[in-house]
Amino acid sequence: MARWRYILITLVCLFALNVASLAQERFPPPEFETDYVRPTTTMPQPEQDIWEYVAAGVLIGALLLAAHLALKRRSRKAIFALMLFSLVAFGFIRKGCVCTVGSVQNVALTAFDPAYAIPIVVLIFFAAPLVVTLFFGRVFCGAVCPLGAIQDAVLIHPVRVPNWLESSLRLLAYVYLGAGVLFAALGAAFIICQYDPFVGFFRLGGNWNILVLGACLLLIGLFVGRPYCRFLCPYGVILRQFSRLSKWRVTITPNDCIKCRLCEDACPFGAIRAPTEPWPGKEYKIAKVRLAFLLLLFPMLVAGGAWGGYLLRDSFARMHPQVRLAERVHLEESGEVEGTTDASDAFRTTGRPSRELYDEAAQIGRRFAIGGAIFGGFVGFIIGGKLLALAVRRRRSDYEADRASCFACGRCYEYCPKEHERLKLGEKAVVART
Amino acid sequence: MPEHNDNVTRRRLLRDGLWGACLAGIGGVAGFAVAKGRKNDWVWQIDPYKCIACGNCATYCVLEESAVKCTHVHAICGYCEICFGFFDPESVTLDEGAENQMCPTGAIVRKYIEDPYYEYTIDESLCNGCGKCVKGCNAFGNGSLFLQVRHDRCVNCNQCAIAAACPSQAFKRVPADHPYILKTVDHA
Amino acid sequence: MNETTKQPDTPRSSVALQTARNTAKVAGAFALIFLGLLVANFIGTAVIGPRRENKMAAMRALLREDPTDEKLLADIRQLDLRIRRDRLWRLDFARKSSYALLGSVALFLAVGKLAGVLERQGPRPGHVADRSAEQIAESRHARWGVAAGVLVLATAGALLLGLQGPLAFVKAEDSGPPYATMEQKNHQWHRFRGPGGGGVSSLTNVPTAWNGESGAGILWKTAVPLPGKNSPVVWGKRVFLSGATEEKREVFCFDADSGQLLWRGDVPARAAVAEAEIEVMEETGYSASTTATDGRRIYAIFATGDIAAFDFNGRRLWHKNLGIPESMYGYASSLDTYQDRVIVQYDQADAEAGKSRLYALNGLSGDVVWEAKREVPNSWSSPIVVEVEGRVQIVTLADPWLIGYDAATGTELWRAEVASGDVAPSPIYAGGLVMAIEPYSRMTAVKPTGQGNITETHVAWQSSDLAPDICCPASDGRYVYVLDGGGLLLCSNIADGTKVYEHELRDNFMASPSVVGDKLYLLSEEGVMHIAQLGPEYQEVAKCELGEACFASPAFADGRIYIRGEKNLYCVGGGRP
Repeated sequence: MARWRYILITLVCLFALNVASLAQERFPPPEFETDYVRPTTTMPQPEQDIWEYVAAGVLIGALLLAAHLALKRRSRKAIFALMLFSLVAFGFIRKGCVCTVGSVQNVALTAFDPAYAIPIVVLIFFAAPLVVTLFFGRVFCGAVCPLGAIQDAVLIHPVRVPNWLESSLRLLAYVYLGAGVLFAALGAAFIICQYDPFVGFFRLGGNWNILVLGACLLLIGLFVGRPYCRFLCPYGVILRQFSRLSKWRVTITPNDCIKCRLCEDACPFGAIRAPTEPWPGKEYKIAKVRLAFLLLLFPMLVAGGAWGGYLLRDSFARMHPQVRLAERVHLEESGEVEGTTDASDAFRTTGRPSRELYDEAAQIGRRFAIGGAIFGGFVGFIIGGKLLALAVRRRRSDYEADRASCFACGRCYEYCPKEHERLKLGEKAVVART
Repeated sequence: MPEHNDNVTRRRLLRDGLWGACLAGIGGVAGFAVAKGRKNDWVWQIDPYKCIACGNCATYCVLEESAVKCTHVHAICGYCEICFGFFDPESVTLDEGAENQMCPTGAIVRKYIEDPYYEYTIDESLCNGCGKCVKGCNAFGNGSLFLQVRHDRCVNCNQCAIAAACPSQAFKRVPADHPYILKTVDHA
Repeated sequence: MNETTKQPDTPRSSVALQTARNTAKVAGAFALIFLGLLVANFIGTAVIGPRRENKMAAMRALLREDPTDEKLLADIRQLDLRIRRDRLWRLDFARKSSYALLGSVALFLAVGKLAGVLERQGPRPGHVADRSAEQIAESRHARWGVAAGVLVLATAGALLLGLQGPLAFVKAEDSGPPYATMEQKNHQWHRFRGPGGGGVSSLTNVPTAWNGESGAGILWKTAVPLPGKNSPVVWGKRVFLSGATEEKREVFCFDADSGQLLWRGDVPARAAVAEAEIEVMEETGYSASTTATDGRRIYAIFATGDIAAFDFNGRRLWHKNLGIPESMYGYASSLDTYQDRVIVQYDQADAEAGKSRLYALNGLSGDVVWEAKREVPNSWSSPIVVEVEGRVQIVTLADPWLIGYDAATGTELWRAEVASGDVAPSPIYAGGLVMAIEPYSRMTAVKPTGQGNITETHVAWQSSDLAPDICCPASDGRYVYVLDGGGLLLCSNIADGTKVYEHELRDNFMASPSVVGDKLYLLSEEGVMHIAQLGPEYQEVAKCELGEACFASPAFADGRIYIRGEKNLYCVGGGRP
């Protein structure tokens, strides 16, 4: 007993000194005299790849089906059914991960991290919606994306968001995309996944902060159609641009617009554009001057953004764990803070000199200077482009679904009398409803 | 709107060009990614040689019950009678009662094999991945207890929430066909 | 139009609408209840959980104090059971209520939507003929909206910039390489017998009068926790020592100004050491090797073969065992550093055993950078790192070879057969010659240039006037001073080895002589420092008594001498104003 006590005291002293040198053979594994057999360590394998490929197949199928339902069948009910299916399949069954929105970061990481290569399935999740959008518009958003689906499902009483608010809020999504790509490419974090507001619902649990954020978004979503898709989704803004170029697209009317205005308030997402005339005579001159001014402003915005992003390089770099660690260790070593953190303790057990860490972190910091400038320039470019787009007026003769904003949800079809005509229901159906 | 308007055809040409460029862009990204070449998926795993058993694994996992569990490689284990993964170093007796156990959930099963050796196994249904036993075993023993992401539980988030909170940057992506990093005898 | 909207609903749709609305209310209420339960469960886990754990820890601590308290023991086990049971229950509860919440929310949404469809009214477009004005205004507002967005972004950026400063570590102490240069080392006392290991210092302000009994001239005196025969090492404001017993090995760092023990770094036993029986002579002890620093880290080696590195704040960076040395009197060679490498002369066993090595270890990691195999038996002398004609060499002495290695690569440059037996005095480099002593036999001066075996070609002179068994020689570049254990001091010409004078000190000596400024310092075992003028005849300057036995060579710094007594470390010197 005395010896046992002694050993304990020594060991406790060791413990107090926290000398965690890992995996040493302090006690050689015994040779057993009995016929005892050591148990082997179980290693349950992750889900088979095959299911991932099935998921990718289902995604492609759903995309094509969505295109068919939105453009050919023009059935809101069918689109809604497909959307619910996607919500269950990609959301609750696949637990919302890896999703198309997050895959942007995997692509960015592949491009910049030599050690990482994107798995084929994630690549499909990234590329397939883009390709389909190039052909058919944003049918992915309307019927396949589980994040969109969960918001669409909760939309009960849509209110109109004023145009100016929508325009400025949408900048958030571009900033989010830029930041997501920047931090993923430089290996800091996948912030789009970290702050994915809905994945917690799909998994029925998770970080409470994020769950609360998601719940708030869904509460807003009861009244504002798809707030995440419109104002935050980083993938959505890529799809916006692709959708502008799509070969085919959603049209409110199956054939000719009769300008009956019945569809005017049909879209809960504010994506229906009324016909426009060119600038009225008195406005035209001012508009031309304004356009010229904005054209001049454009490069300045890009340069200013790049400069701002460069200035913020250190703040961006702090998103990287290595930089945060270096900063912490430096604060500790220069005596500016007292005590240590788990991270700085872990660093010290490695025995690496802090200078090495600083150099490594400074290297990362330099990359963030370049990345930050590009990111800032991108934001400036987007803002400039947005201002220019708002300064020109395109003639539009019909009521149209805005190519960029339309989610291809199919809500507007039934507002069009021509659609009813097409369905051979006649004018009556609309009147009867009224 | 007259279709053969000069302005319109120019715009259409521009649009078609952009369209082609976008498609080519996607193709380029896909081609680049495929050329980088790997068929396998990635999964998250803990490098046991970096892990400091801080306890974040028990609390940061998106799953209510963490996907990280203690793993035991018996080949390294010293089968110590006094195991500091099992016993609190301050315990007074070698009684297996709750007051002396390191594990807060009682997930380590201690079994007598032969004098003076005891076998320790992890009851995974009870383990919460807190790493208390890992700390003890690393500090005083052979380090045969360590934390691993158990892939029957892990949902393989694109950004692992524990990885984002890991102080020693021990979490990393590993190929799905070699999803575990077990400690081995020769690495000391 | 207005009239149509005011028309009452048809009875059928009205009933359905009412039903849908009521169901929605009920489902919503249920959803809220389940949400409440989940939140309560979460709070329970987040708040009560840690509280219970703290209680558990407190109870456990109480039990340690009184292990016989049966009631407390029972309480602990009860609480443990409750914690564990609750945890499983909560997990199960959370899962079930999540499903219930999901179900009720789904129902709520379904009937809510149904109600929405049922009460939806047809479109009522307005009658604006020309929307141009409205649209133009809208674009204008949108432009200002975007401008406001820019403003918000810019403000956020400025705020971020203002709140967080730049990354400070980028500019942190741009100190070049992670080690001190040889030039910097020359102004410190970074190893056994100072830079070059010759016991030479150019300082002229070193004290020449003190008394240990009365405390006169002693700046401070601090007890050293563990015994050791090694010398102090000084770097800036820090003084390092090591000490060991059979069970413990430690490195000590003292504040040079106050003598305060700043930190003690523990070097635990590696498994093999714990089991092995290590025999050392009492004269050698477990910690005869002097530490060495590269200006960033301090390195220490012990008789067990354990070598460790600490940073200047006492954090152990690495620790390894080079294998238990087979040394007749116990391992005693001191360390030296070259750049950021630790140089270890690890001579052991017989020459035939082939176990002797010269190692250069990476100071940052402890990894072996290079090692040189040595066909020599165990020895007790220390390697010296010296610059010879622009090239940095490591010179080692053992039976029979004096060998010069290239410090960068470890390749052997030259060797000379100059000694035999149990070699303990280290070689010195002075006046372009390396002086090596074969105990009780002879001293040889070798010109450390050339290649291969240079015994025949490069030996400048040999002298058999005096050859001590322990003390190393010292030289001011003109004369070589040799002191034997019995107190006989010999002064010879460095050029040809001829005797200049001999002087009997009538004291016993373990510490080696030091040449400081224009004076010779000789520290006896009894703690008496004999100070003499350098020159062609023995001219005593002073004799200072410490009053404590001394076995280790002293260290010299600006205005100070650091002397390790048997139990205490002394700093001699009035200190600067």
